[in-house]
Amino acid sequence: MFSFTQVFLVAVGYLLFLFLVAWITDRGFLPARLVRHPAVYVFSLGVYASAWAIYGSVGYAYHYGYNFLAYFLGISGVFMLAPILLAPILRLTSSYQLSSMADLFAFRYRSRLAGALTTLMMLAGMLPLLALQVKAVAESIQILTGEAHPGSLAFWFCLLITLFAILFGARHATNREKHEGLVVAIAVESLIKIVAFVLLTVLGLYSVFDGPAGLTAWLDANPDALARLYYPLQDGTWHSMILAFFVSAVVMPHMFHMAFSENLNPRALMTASWGLPLLLLIMALCIPVILWTATAAQVDGLPDYYALAVGSLSGSHGAMLAYIAGLAGASGMLIVAALALSSMALNHLVLPARTQRLDESLYRWLLWARRLLIAGVLALSYMFYVIAGDHHTLTELGVLSFVATLQFVPGLIGALFWPGANRMGLFAGLLTGFTMWVAALVLPIVMPHWQPTLLFDLLGISHQSTAHQWHHVAIASVVANGVVFVIFSLITPSSRAERNAAETCAVDSLRRTFRWELEADTVEDFVASLTEPLGPVTAEREVTLALRDLGQARSETRPYALRRLRDQLETNLSGLLGPSVSHRIVDKHLPYKPQAENESSEDIQFIESRLELYRDRLSGLAAELDSLRRFHRQTLLELPMGVISLGADGEIIGWNLAMEHLTGVTAQRTIGARLNTLPRPWNVVFHDFALGDTVRLPQVEVQLRGQSRWLSLHKSEVVGTLPGERAEGQVIVVEDITDLRALEAQLTHSERLASVGRLAAGVAHEIGNPVTAIACLAQNLDHDAGGDEVAQASQQIVEQTRRISRIVESLVTFSHSGGIPQPVQGPVSLRDTVNEAISLLQMDPDHRQQMFRNDCPADHLVRGDSQRLLQVFVNLLSNAADATQDNDPVTVRSERQEERLDVMIEDQGHGIPAELASSLFEPFVTSKPPGRGTGLGLALVYSIIEDHFGSIRAESPIADGHGTRFVITLPSYLDAG
Amino acid sequence: MYTDRLLIIFIVGAYLLSPVIIEWWSEGGRAWYRPYMMWLVLIALSYWIGRGRPADRL
Repeated sequence: MFSFTQVFLVAVGYLLFLFLVAWITDRGFLPARLVRHPAVYVFSLGVYASAWAIYGSVGYAYHYGYNFLAYFLGISGVFMLAPILLAPILRLTSSYQLSSMADLFAFRYRSRLAGALTTLMMLAGMLPLLALQVKAVAESIQILTGEAHPGSLAFWFCLLITLFAILFGARHATNREKHEGLVVAIAVESLIKIVAFVLLTVLGLYSVFDGPAGLTAWLDANPDALARLYYPLQDGTWHSMILAFFVSAVVMPHMFHMAFSENLNPRALMTASWGLPLLLLIMALCIPVILWTATAAQVDGLPDYYALAVGSLSGSHGAMLAYIAGLAGASGMLIVAALALSSMALNHLVLPARTQRLDESLYRWLLWARRLLIAGVLALSYMFYVIAGDHHTLTELGVLSFVATLQFVPGLIGALFWPGANRMGLFAGLLTGFTMWVAALVLPIVMPHWQPTLLFDLLGISHQSTAHQWHHVAIASVVANGVVFVIFSLITPSSRAERNAAETCAVDSLRRTFRWELEADTVEDFVASLTEPLGPVTAEREVTLALRDLGQARSETRPYALRRLRDQLETNLSGLLGPSVSHRIVDKHLPYKPQAENESSEDIQFIESRLELYRDRLSGLAAELDSLRRFHRQTLLELPMGVISLGADGEIIGWNLAMEHLTGVTAQRTIGARLNTLPRPWNVVFHDFALGDTVRLPQVEVQLRGQSRWLSLHKSEVVGTLPGERAEGQVIVVEDITDLRALEAQLTHSERLASVGRLAAGVAHEIGNPVTAIACLAQNLDHDAGGDEVAQASQQIVEQTRRISRIVESLVTFSHSGGIPQPVQGPVSLRDTVNEAISLLQMDPDHRQQMFRNDCPADHLVRGDSQRLLQVFVNLLSNAADATQDNDPVTVRSERQEERLDVMIEDQGHGIPAELASSLFEPFVTSKPPGRGTGLGLALVYSIIEDHFGSIRAESPIADGHGTRFVITLPSYLDAG
Repeated sequence: MYTDRLLIIFIVGAYLLSPVIIEWWSEGGRAWYRPYMMWLVLIALSYWIGRGRPADRL
């Protein structure tokens, strides 16, 4: 026997130890790797094994044999199918910050009433299980201490648990923060519980049977003990019981809380799929051993507390182990369930009823409301325990809760797997199920004189001991609930918001969001709009947090990004205030512009991003279709022409790589924006074109970084595939024709040169003959003339005719140059050709003093005609020398550019007048004074270079307002052939 | 309506096999640990199936 003080101090010490574990975890003293280790998650799920598992299960095995395994096997089955059954719930709860079943129902069925109804029913349904924990601990203390009044023990235990529940879980205002401390503490609690349970079993086994061999011998000698275990399997209740435990396990608020709300590592769910069943297997293995040990030792007392009796067989330490195991199971379950239920009550009962503005004091107010609700839930549990009294077994209390929580299963299955389910179906189903639960289970257990004969006959329940036939009520009520749920869902309409939420929750579909336009245009508008319901500080904090979660800039104005911000805010506020209040605030203060449903388009960009995430989950036809989609998408993306896809509302939904390259604006910046928000000059060009009636603009000039670029624009409406379907947007194709235009100009220039050449040949021929005649006549006149004056005049005539002849010769040369291109010949050394040109020029007295520098490397060879290239260099060097002072050098250098050679001829002269720059290579264009140049030199050079498959351009001025550089690009000899 | 092949196989399989399993279990006699062995096999199977599953399949 222990004294009450001893036992109470053990409870306080145990809870203080748990609090210490939570505290050191929250302070970061434990490494994150350990805290997030899957084993911690698995052990924290051990909260399922409450005091009912430690004490009640043995009593259940005593009465119902192997049926006790249903309690352990049911939840094991759920977790073994975790990737299919639990992963979708985890994905939903973590994506939309849903912390309870009520949150999930309010979110899915878009109904505050659904949340409130779920909360009230869950609270009512869970009270018996919470009272069971209180009763188990109080009665175990009573057994250990011999106290006469377990009620006062229960009161002190409830007070202690209330204090610790507040300390554990209500230190943050919101459920958004994961309570790492709580998770680790509950994991440690499970570990202690299991170790204590196994130890007391082993101690009992050895103290009574001297080990497993002794047990086997005893079983051989007492076949009745085994038969009592097997016998209940024959009555056919096994199926319904395992089904009941299978489905109710996850719906219970403490399991939902630990499995989903406090999940620190989604991957750990995979470990839990085998870890939790293993953990429960170990516990379940102990139960028949404890039962047989107690039977063999012929212990007194209720079978519910055989664990305590078996512990006592091996002394006080054994009894204390059993007490600690029970205490751990009860306290863990009470703390987590109180947290979960208080959170549900706050989100669905208290906050929606609050009419005051949610202002700066919101976080503090939430914290205190949560603390009071925790105290309230535990006070209700204590009251239920007091009212129920000690007439009921642990089994009776346990089954009341299991059947109650079972009623949420049809709604949950509908939320996850059936988009057609609606709120009316949920309400009707829940009310039906709960009415049956109250009428056929609660009232007959609490008030034994209550006997609904008609209902009992209908369910096939005998009028005695209703609790023993609870599985009939469980299956009948959940089937009725499900049938009513389906019928009402089918015959009543669903709202638009509900249909959207159904798409979000459905396991096999992506959320097909629509591109509705928001009233708010900027992030600042969001803050201003939310200031009214939340106050300026909270509004600013929530918007900043949502921007950070999304990784968006505050300057964001794209409609797509603002819609994502709205969704994120709703999600974050859901974690703070619950989905009902959050949805109401966001709907009211961040509304969409009024728009008919058929005027909006689906958010293709969002669907695509989700498809990318879900790629691995696609199989069969869906995977093939996805591959096809990817192929088409990639084709569009890699198309060498710019493509812009616009939605019906003008939002940019496609911007391919060529557009990125052309505009320098990334797809990430443009997707979801409108054309008029693009940087200049694209906003004007594309916006005007998209709105205009013209479907094709062959040439549009755009000034880009000081240079002209020419674009060709085409557009086409994207029409739905069905006849009569409206346009879904338009596609704009952008072609950069700058190079094409340059080529066209070059071609025109060459054509003009050729015409001039043909004209020049004719003119030269026609002028040549009369000029020759004039020259002959003038020479004759010179011989025959008597006077000096006539001789001088005739000499001048001869001189002028020579000049005409030179011009005519130039014209002839030019006209020949524009003929059929000569076959390109052997290698020409740039260095030698330039040297030869320099030598020729230096024979001219005008250029004798001119400094020339030839920097062309000896190995720079081009393919071509050396004589014609010589002519090019003579012309260019002569021009350069004419423009330069003698002491300023004229430089020729060459550079290799991959397969080509660039030859630069630079002078320090006065440069080319700006008015001549555009027509420099036209015939008869010269900056030299009359009589010094024909204006045919550069035109000739252009022709020759073109014949050599090269190009020439002039840059002037090149430094300080003077100097000219001619750049000739010629194919290198090595690569030319 | 969402259907997962594995889930359907499990439900149909459990329905078809359950009478056989219960019978085998009930006839255990001294081998009272039979359900635990079956349970252990299921745990090993879960471990084996989940071993190579990537995190994003969750």
